[in-house]
Amino acid sequence: MNKDNKYDIVVIGGGHAGIEAAAIAAKMKCKTALLTMDFKTIGVPSCNPSIGGTAKGHLVKEIDALGGAMGFLADQAGIHFKMLNISKGPAIWSPRCQIDKDLYPQVALKYLQSLKYLDLVEGLVKEVKLIKKKIYSIICNNGTELTAKSLIICSGTFLNGKMFTGRDVSVGGRFGEQSSENLSDLLENYGIKRGRLKTGTPPRISAESIDYGRLDIQAGDMNPAPFSYLSNKVENKVLCFQTETNEDVHTELRKGFGDSPMFNGIIKGIGPRYCPSIEDKINRFADRDGHKIILEPEGLNTNSVYVNGFSTSLPKEVQINALRKIRGLKKCEILRYGYAIEYDFFYPYQLKYTLESKILPNLYFAGQINGTSGYEEAACQGLIAGINAAAKIKKLDDLVLKRSDAYIGVLIDDLVNKSTEEPYRIFTSSAEYRLLLRQDNAKYRLCDYAMKYKLIPKERYNQLKSEQNIIEESLFETKNIKIKADDINSYFIQIGETTLIDSTDINTLSKRPGVSLEHLINMTNAKPKSLSSIIKNKELLNILNIEIKYEGYINRQKKEIERFLHNEEKRIPVNFEYNSLSSLSNEAREKLMKIKPESLGQASRISGVTSSDISVIALFLR
Amino acid sequence: MIINDTITALATVPGISGIAVIRMSGDDAVKIVSNCFRGSAPLMEAERNTIHFGKIYSKNYLMDSVLVSVFRNPHSYTGEDTIEISCHGGNTTYSLIIDELISQGARQAEPGEFTKRAFINGKLDLLQAEAVSDMIHSVSVSGSIISARQLHSGISTKIKKFRQILLDACSLVELDSDFSDEDIEIINRKDLKEKAEEVLNFCTSLIESFNSAKIFRSGFYVAIAGFPNSGKSTLFNSLLGRNRAIVSQTPGTTRDYLEESILVSGVAVKLFDTAGLRETEDAIEIEGINFSHSVLSQANIIFVLNDISISEEHSDSLYKKIQEDYLAQKVYLIQNKVDRLPSLPEINKNAYISAKYGEGLPDLFNIIRTEIEKNKANINDILINERHLILLKGAAEAIRRAISELDYLSPNEIIAIELHDAARYFGEMTGQAWNEEVLNNIFSKFCIGK
Repeated sequence: MNKDNKYDIVVIGGGHAGIEAAAIAAKMKCKTALLTMDFKTIGVPSCNPSIGGTAKGHLVKEIDALGGAMGFLADQAGIHFKMLNISKGPAIWSPRCQIDKDLYPQVALKYLQSLKYLDLVEGLVKEVKLIKKKIYSIICNNGTELTAKSLIICSGTFLNGKMFTGRDVSVGGRFGEQSSENLSDLLENYGIKRGRLKTGTPPRISAESIDYGRLDIQAGDMNPAPFSYLSNKVENKVLCFQTETNEDVHTELRKGFGDSPMFNGIIKGIGPRYCPSIEDKINRFADRDGHKIILEPEGLNTNSVYVNGFSTSLPKEVQINALRKIRGLKKCEILRYGYAIEYDFFYPYQLKYTLESKILPNLYFAGQINGTSGYEEAACQGLIAGINAAAKIKKLDDLVLKRSDAYIGVLIDDLVNKSTEEPYRIFTSSAEYRLLLRQDNAKYRLCDYAMKYKLIPKERYNQLKSEQNIIEESLFETKNIKIKADDINSYFIQIGETTLIDSTDINTLSKRPGVSLEHLINMTNAKPKSLSSIIKNKELLNILNIEIKYEGYINRQKKEIERFLHNEEKRIPVNFEYNSLSSLSNEAREKLMKIKPESLGQASRISGVTSSDISVIALFLR
Repeated sequence: MIINDTITALATVPGISGIAVIRMSGDDAVKIVSNCFRGSAPLMEAERNTIHFGKIYSKNYLMDSVLVSVFRNPHSYTGEDTIEISCHGGNTTYSLIIDELISQGARQAEPGEFTKRAFINGKLDLLQAEAVSDMIHSVSVSGSIISARQLHSGISTKIKKFRQILLDACSLVELDSDFSDEDIEIINRKDLKEKAEEVLNFCTSLIESFNSAKIFRSGFYVAIAGFPNSGKSTLFNSLLGRNRAIVSQTPGTTRDYLEESILVSGVAVKLFDTAGLRETEDAIEIEGINFSHSVLSQANIIFVLNDISISEEHSDSLYKKIQEDYLAQKVYLIQNKVDRLPSLPEINKNAYISAKYGEGLPDLFNIIRTEIEKNKANINDILINERHLILLKGAAEAIRRAISELDYLSPNEIIAIELHDAARYFGEMTGQAWNEEVLNNIFSKFCIGK
């Protein structure tokens, strides 16, 4: 550890955001300290034992493309890998893996310890002071004192955390752990506005008490693929199982509604609409007689099983009675009851796109403190905050990803401009240009940014560029290779496709549903350079296939992006007097003055600002 | 930011007229006018919505006796203090007054600037601003009425309703993509297709009504065609009620086409007299015949005139050819010069007229009136303009593609792209989706003074 405790960057909190922020800042050669209550809880998955999923898998791939840790850590701790939505379009294919929840913190700790510029420090923040508007001084309960040029706060659900099970209320940031009270008040004293949110977690049950014979198996993929380019191979080591709730279960649950902190007004924070508790689900979808439940093992050396889809804060006896009415869980034993947690967050409109506070200089916020939900959402913010904090110290440009660059860009743009009323979760539908923002091309989309900040090795960058080249050239080559009708018709008859009359290029042919590009390339005798190399690489071939099949739509989205960027470049002066425009609605005026959008495009995405408000501003700017 | 600098412009058409109206708007409108106005009471204290008689002076030199109307912020068209000066018409008076107002601190307004201010100050929404522009450019009574209706009430309700249907469909598709592994109901593609078809039908019916509504904006076109010397120009003059075309015995007299307007059933009817159609070597006449064809292709009605004194069947081949060449037009064969016949044929196949003596002309007007009424019947209360038409066509295409992608079993994200696209077109129509070009177009169409 640094002798004088003077750092470039101090990261408060060792969750998924904190890990990324600290690691990337250290990689960018800033003297960094990660301050956590307990080394052993670094990277603990508080809720589900999995990383990735619909749209979240995209985030993990993007984090990996920018030199982040999450994908690499998940690969090492992963025990069940699955590409979701494979039956749907390629834009929403999303990788997910189950992780060993005990192993994940271990690999995370080992990874952080291996970083030369990073110190890990234990302590609970008692006081934060900004000295001469330049240096942050952080004083901990245990007497530890640190100073930093930049401070990144990644405190998760620990700010004034309160946990609820039925009428039982306890203080803490996670089961069995204390919460952090001082920090939230300190920040508020600096004029930063806070609110309250709620999230929940389901019960864990013991593996021995489950009747597996009565459940449906959910296996991992045959050929599991890792998240990270740094990982060679991953393996499936466990199975997941599926069951569902029924009317009897719902009846049991309803018995506890009177004692539910969600319904009796004890919990005031607003919960996530999209990851609702089971009591919320049966309340809101009253006509449904069952909800899907997935049983996910929490690790290789534990008998704890996570009951996915059964998040609840109902009283303990209601939880157990209801669970035991579910198929396969008749004799189940609860190891830990589900609970809801309520915590402070800070309104993210107070942030710049770099995640730096608009109110205090060199203070960054990342993760659940910004009102998001999910490990992946937290991690990508940690990464961006870390890169920007380091870039500022190294006098490099800000890193601001646009909505057309990455899901990360979509997420941060939404956070800053859309008022969070509930925990924010990423969706594929949040991304306007999702045919371009796929999980398979994240590494290509972001490699120029990664190289700019030296987040990936030069060789990796060169390799990505050459792969991109092969794909582009192959795309071109497919338009020039024609296949004669006689040569292809027998294949078409075999797969039930309309036969050809004239010879046709393989680009056109492979756009037909059910026609295999690989087959067409293999039929070609004299293969041009790029096609002959791409045919040997399954991954690149798959990308080429997508690029051809959806070429028309991909090109349309590229056109739309041009339009989008045009509006992003229409600058609004910082001192624009919204007050003098009487026709703006009060809500729009208030939001615009609060957020101070940099461009017309940004203004148009602020919730409460209508298109007629934008027209007024646009006319005025001309 | 100076928003309320004072602008001025002539609000009426320049040229010879009884009176001319000069408009002024801005913080200093009243002050500037009162500097050069002498009336019975000082203008500065004038109440809102009052009219004052007085004289306008420039450096003690009397320019005109005028009426000054005073409107006070926000009770005016622009929402600012506004003055309208009614002065005498002619080309010089108003321009001298405007010069004086400018020397007192006003600024010449840009085209559409009054309406732009009304918009910025929340007096009009985008659709209403557009309706103002349509009203100014409308050539018919009904056109203005429909534009006015659009100006005062929300015609966009219907469009908004269908946009909402599209948006709901989009969110269903999105839900299906994002919650596939959770337990929220999966969309039914059959229902989705039905919804898309419902919206498509709405689009196509509006597009059809545009073609009918066109007569209100650009007028109803009636072209007179026929062989040389069949009496086209004579008919043209008779319908017009005055001598406009040169009439002579020499075939090929009309080289160019002539165009004049009359009002029938509240719609501007544009009459076109075309060059006689015949094989000719005369270069000017050939050019004239080419013009004739371009006029015919735009017409709503074509009257093919036959000289019955030659024979009743003399123009049959020409009539047939025109019918075949101009499928979108209503083509009528008209027998002219019945005054030269001893008696009318026993079997009346066609309209029989004497253009020269005005016989049978009411029949022709009836034909025109009937066609206009047919067009009117096609129009519902939504009158769309060219911009709406382009957007509707875009939306219709997007929905058609969405339907074919649905049939093709394409993935959700593709369907979503098309539905979002269609919804965006609808949004641009009502101004719910912001588009810079829309804004530019609407305000660039205005003339100065509006």
